[in-house]
Amino acid sequence: MSISEGTIGELRAKGVEVKRLEREYYEIFIGPQHPGSGHMRIIVRLDGDIIVDADPDIGYVHRTMEKLSEGREWIKVTPLVERMTIIDACNVTLPYINAVEKLMDKRPSTRASYLRVLLCEINRIASHLYGFGIFGVFLGHSTAYMWGFGDREVFLELAEILTGTRLTYTYHIPGGVRRDMPQDFPQMARRAVRYMRNRMAEYEKIFLNNPVIVSRLRDVGVISKTRAAELGIVGPTLRGSGVRYDVRLNEPYEVYSELDFEVPVFEEGDALARTLVRMEEIKQSLNIIEQAVDWLEKHRDEPVIAKEDYEKLPKLHKELYEKTGRVKLLPTQISMKVPPGKAVARAEAGRGEIFYYVESDGGVMPYRVRVVTPSARNVIVFKKVVPGHRLMDLPAIYGSIDYFPPEADR
Amino acid sequence: MMVLETLLYIIAYPPLWQVIVIGLLGSFLTAMIAIWFERKAAARVQRRIGPYWASPRLGGFLNLVADMIRYILQEVIIPRTVDKVPFVLAPVAAFVVSIMPIAFVPLSPYEKFWPVPDMQYSLLIALAITTVPPLLAVIGGWASNNKFAVIGSLRESYVITAYELIFVIAVLSAAPTFLTLNVLHIVEAQSPFMWLAFLNPIAFLAAFLAVLMSTSAFPFEIPESEHEVVAGPYTEYSGILYALNMGGAYVRRFIYAVLISLVFLGGWAPYVPPSEGPLFAIIVPSIIVAVKALIVVLAMSFLRAVYGRYRLDQALDSAWRLVLPLALIGLGWGIALGLIM
Repeated sequence: MSISEGTIGELRAKGVEVKRLEREYYEIFIGPQHPGSGHMRIIVRLDGDIIVDADPDIGYVHRTMEKLSEGREWIKVTPLVERMTIIDACNVTLPYINAVEKLMDKRPSTRASYLRVLLCEINRIASHLYGFGIFGVFLGHSTAYMWGFGDREVFLELAEILTGTRLTYTYHIPGGVRRDMPQDFPQMARRAVRYMRNRMAEYEKIFLNNPVIVSRLRDVGVISKTRAAELGIVGPTLRGSGVRYDVRLNEPYEVYSELDFEVPVFEEGDALARTLVRMEEIKQSLNIIEQAVDWLEKHRDEPVIAKEDYEKLPKLHKELYEKTGRVKLLPTQISMKVPPGKAVARAEAGRGEIFYYVESDGGVMPYRVRVVTPSARNVIVFKKVVPGHRLMDLPAIYGSIDYFPPEADR
Repeated sequence: MMVLETLLYIIAYPPLWQVIVIGLLGSFLTAMIAIWFERKAAARVQRRIGPYWASPRLGGFLNLVADMIRYILQEVIIPRTVDKVPFVLAPVAAFVVSIMPIAFVPLSPYEKFWPVPDMQYSLLIALAITTVPPLLAVIGGWASNNKFAVIGSLRESYVITAYELIFVIAVLSAAPTFLTLNVLHIVEAQSPFMWLAFLNPIAFLAAFLAVLMSTSAFPFEIPESEHEVVAGPYTEYSGILYALNMGGAYVRRFIYAVLISLVFLGGWAPYVPPSEGPLFAIIVPSIIVAVKALIVVLAMSFLRAVYGRYRLDQALDSAWRLVLPLALIGLGWGIALGLIM
């Protein structure tokens, strides 16, 4: 659209800044209702087929979680915040509980820690498979999509057997977890691990070694090591650029320091490397699950909540726990008061480091809960890495950073 | 007996049989079988069931009929901002023109069963007509006045320029081999098992790839790549117009496959049609050709389960640098064959 010189003069007289573009770009709005956008909008400016500017317009699923947290009891914050990354609910709620535990000066029992790690790793696999499926269909590979979502079901079912629900576990409570694992859970977990190991080989055949997919991903969206550190990205996206940073390794929480696992790191920094990191992480998570169930099988006698809490339970609750493995919360726990203070905690969620700052004024509700989510930190990739690529690379980069809008928007 | 004979002659009346039955109904049926197979085969690979409940005994085949009815009854929304005449005409014209090449090729060796009197240049004419429908898709996309449709149309036009030459060269490599542009002579020269696909596999491969590209089958599903451009040139279409667009791709694939099966797969060979009676002279050979074409289409459909899609520049790159030389080698090979034979 062209504006006449007179109009420009009028606008200038009114004090409006008018600049002539050196070149006209084709602007397209990808999202929020677009098959390739998710709950966000990406404003893309194109010069021919080359993206000159990509502007992630986030906030479509902002639910004011930080503010809402200030209006509910400490324990009831968990079911709220787990809804920000519903596919990774265990990992994103764990640091909140850890921070609350720090404030209350409470340590979970070792058995509870192992159960937490077990669920977190099951959840990490489910989350990676979800991301993998979405990534596959972004590249037009419907088989990867269906396989990813189909095999994710195995781990959702494991989680269901363990916690009683598929996605929103609300499993952690300060000092422990809400359920012990069923007697036959270790066998089921081992079967799932065996199954998934065999499937990984098939994933490699159809997706990771597929010439079409490799040519779409190699040297696309390259983030160098220094660039990755500069941008402050986290998670598999960071490790795909050769930076060895994983909270489980650098600042072990729960019982990760006692477990034997590797943190896969790839040097290339392209979309393929990021995909490979996630696939390798699934393998490592399978190892962790095996170790965790081995330990849990050997130490059945310990309670799943802190010793002192267990002793305080009334007889009826104890009997219920002995019989079903369920910990019924006491009314006092629901309206518990947390000593005043500030605490931070972090964990490695599926998409990267998640950080909580929790402040208490000694009341029954948090004074402040601040969350920094991995997706919120990775969204910068759209702005800084996507320009210069072709339009068809956008879904490849989007899928490879496994960006999850509800998590970023909170 | 006379009644039956007469009835057969009416059915075998060339415009009716060849254009309506084989061309229109055949391509409809092929499109349905191909889409059904595509969904079923992909479901098999992806460990799903696929279409099922519409007719469990037929493996859910009637689901496609239900889909078609839905498309026909759906409201056609024509946005205010589109250029109405080309917007509506383009898909209709594209669908009609897609079927037309079949009127210019022989499906029987006998002249009385041909829709056109002379088959002298049938190969050239049929090839020429196959190049028209993509232009109409571009027109439809341009008339949509939608940014995604414009990008999709642009991609379509890039892809057209890349594959068209390849397909024409690859199929024309039959001409120097058999020293004719007459599809009838080409078919007869291949009988019973001297199929050009065996004699000149390079040209066959090039033609196969060109058809994949032209009908945006995987791994070249670029113009309507969902995750950047929604539905490409067809973004603004709905209802029956959308069905014509999407079905049009399958119809074109079928017509291309008919050409391929005539030129490369021996047409009605190894069957030798006798001259008496319409049943054995036209109906059986044309069904043989249609079944061969169907097999080619199904082979193309299966690729959806295996591949993702190439990037536009990669597809164009491979078309110009890899498949075009392949087609030229095929042509050279065809000339060499012609010199030897």
